[in-house]
Amino acid sequence: MLKSLHEDDRSAMRESLSRFLIAEADEATLRRGIDFSQGYDPKLWRQICEMGLTGIAVAEVFGGAGGGAKDVEMVCSQLGRALNPMPFLDSCVIGTGLLTACSRNTHLKHIIENVVSGASIVAIGGNAPFVPLQDSRHNLTIHADHTISGTVSLVLNAATADFILIGITVDDQIKVFIVPTQANVVCTAQQANDPLLRPCAVRFENAAAIELNALTETDLEQARLRGVAALAAWQAGAARALFEVTIEYLKTRYQFGRPIGSFQALKHMAADLFLEVESATSAALAAAEAIDEEKLEVARTVALAGFVCTDVFREVAAQAIQLHGGIAYTQEHIAHLYWRRSRAMLPMLGSADKHREDYLKALEIAA
Amino acid sequence: MTTITQESTNQALQKAVNNWLDVHWDTANRRPVNATEYDERSWLKQVLDAGYCVPSWPKKWFGLGLTMQQSVLIDRTFQARKAPGTGRDRYHLGAITLSKMGNTELKREMLPQLLTGPICCLLYSEPNAGSDLAGVRTRADLDGDSFVINGQKVWTSDAVSADYGMLLARTDWDVPKHQGLTFFLFPMKQPGVEIRPINQITGESKFNEIFITDARVPRRFVIGDLNEGWRSFQTAIAYERLIMGQGITERKRGAANEGVHPLIALAERTGHLDDPIFRQRIAQAIAYREVNKLNNERAKDEMQSSGGMSLMSLSKLAMSRIQHGEAAIATDLLGAEAMLDGDSALDSANANFDAAKAYMNSIGGGTDQIQRNIIAEKVLQLPKELDASKGVSFRDMKSNSSAS
Repeated sequence: MLKSLHEDDRSAMRESLSRFLIAEADEATLRRGIDFSQGYDPKLWRQICEMGLTGIAVAEVFGGAGGGAKDVEMVCSQLGRALNPMPFLDSCVIGTGLLTACSRNTHLKHIIENVVSGASIVAIGGNAPFVPLQDSRHNLTIHADHTISGTVSLVLNAATADFILIGITVDDQIKVFIVPTQANVVCTAQQANDPLLRPCAVRFENAAAIELNALTETDLEQARLRGVAALAAWQAGAARALFEVTIEYLKTRYQFGRPIGSFQALKHMAADLFLEVESATSAALAAAEAIDEEKLEVARTVALAGFVCTDVFREVAAQAIQLHGGIAYTQEHIAHLYWRRSRAMLPMLGSADKHREDYLKALEIAA
Repeated sequence: MTTITQESTNQALQKAVNNWLDVHWDTANRRPVNATEYDERSWLKQVLDAGYCVPSWPKKWFGLGLTMQQSVLIDRTFQARKAPGTGRDRYHLGAITLSKMGNTELKREMLPQLLTGPICCLLYSEPNAGSDLAGVRTRADLDGDSFVINGQKVWTSDAVSADYGMLLARTDWDVPKHQGLTFFLFPMKQPGVEIRPINQITGESKFNEIFITDARVPRRFVIGDLNEGWRSFQTAIAYERLIMGQGITERKRGAANEGVHPLIALAERTGHLDDPIFRQRIAQAIAYREVNKLNNERAKDEMQSSGGMSLMSLSKLAMSRIQHGEAAIATDLLGAEAMLDGDSALDSANANFDAAKAYMNSIGGGTDQIQRNIIAEKVLQLPKELDASKGVSFRDMKSNSSAS
């Protein structure tokens, strides 16, 4: 398993990524993403690739940086701050995670190298636990000639992806396939509540599929754990950024001849949200550390981050609008974009309630 | 003896401490080697001389110049040998405050005595100065080389055992409230100090009211400067809140802290362990506790690396929702049985006790509401509330009690 990069290297990368995002991925750039089919400016994604971030969690033999979960935490918390919808989680954490576990297949090795270089993007669909948006009503079937047919209703970024990774249950077993999108794959864009997200319904018509048949149960669980931890970091970063915007507003908005942040009713909400934001960061960091250090309680710690960060992002986004008042009831203000994303992320990789149940189960097993 | 430094490995540190304890402490009989009985002051003197009393303090101030983590490790090593006396750099509020705020002469005179004696009691709150603590009315009037103290204090624990208390009293009545206060090291064992226990909501009586009539404090026992007491007090109260956020005030139930979590065990006993709603609530309660622990670990790193206290300020607030929340779940798990109490209904008695005791955290040491104001103003830098007493001399301030 991959360990993380040296702390100093990670700090330096955080520093430069943060500077880059502040300069290049500001609110105006984010809003321009609405007009792109990707939901983001592809130029921005190319720059992220050039910074080596698409391969941060990929071993050096595939051109990656050889980092671990703590490095993914660093990248995701920064991308979350900027609310950017780039396909890092699906393509560069879960996607490359599964592909590298089967890397003896030279064709798959080639795909990994392309994801790392930025030439290819992987989307993910199906009902396996590592699939961000699970569709239990898909009707996908695998044919004897290694082709796939049927429909899966919700796959993020499928229309602009080069490959779709499909994880489905066949005879109580999880099977994973990778399908190139060039032929016999029809993506129909669905309207999303979040104007920056690009969910598609995908229909496969005898599309060629390569099975990732070397995957073990451990590989599948690793991909899920790393995905949940990365998503948690993203949510923690987004919650913190919106919290900072809100605190700034409380200091500068005047009513009754004084800053509204001087009112106790708002101060107390702010103090409570601060506790939530710090708790999310602590939980996300602990999950990444548990993965990298292969701690015994890794499943419990990741479940903890899973529900804490989902709940905190939802709560901070909801309360940020309330604290702003009327200005955040408009689309001109950025808060609604955070709020919509927090809601879109609720079911990703398992709901908060599901993670809470997993957390308690892990505690019961340990006792 | 090997010299231990900040660079020493944990293993080397533990070995050094154990070697010292081998020579000085008789674990089997829980007394110093060659002693016939345990005498607190003479044992604490030995611990102090070895530097183990306050390991994170500088060497010239009775410590070993170690890190706080190393101090915790020494505490664990002592605990394993059932030896008392270490960790006073974390728990002895009086000594900590004196070391931070006192002048060199007073520190030299009084620190050895405080560190080898009982912990100091706190003489802060008064019947008419609770959340608005800067409104205290206990007076300190200079008379020759000492101050004469008159007034009433409340919520003082360990008052009977304490040799000294940290006293906040008014020395100037003609300036705004924060500017006329002085912080004293107050000798408790003297005429004019009357201690009356308070019967608390939990059934305990750990707190007292203190009536002070013409008691005296030497002038040199001022901690910090005259009329600058609010600053010294801020240091003392910050440490108190820090200690509370680590759950020090909680009752430990021995074996219950190991193995199965008490709430899971109670859910099993009451037949609710398969109830999905209870499972969600229990998981959330346990998670709040685990996250607070993670926050505290980051807080310690933050303090060590930058001296920042922003994360520290959160733990006491977090502990309130943890304690109230856990007690509420226990009460609901027990259902009708929760109305019972006493030795034949121990689960109920515990739930009732915990539900009452949770207020100790959410009111004591400053209410959650005051704590939220502090987080908002000191950490998040939100503007201060309009203060009706700002710029008004204390004598002219509106209050529940008649002006003195």
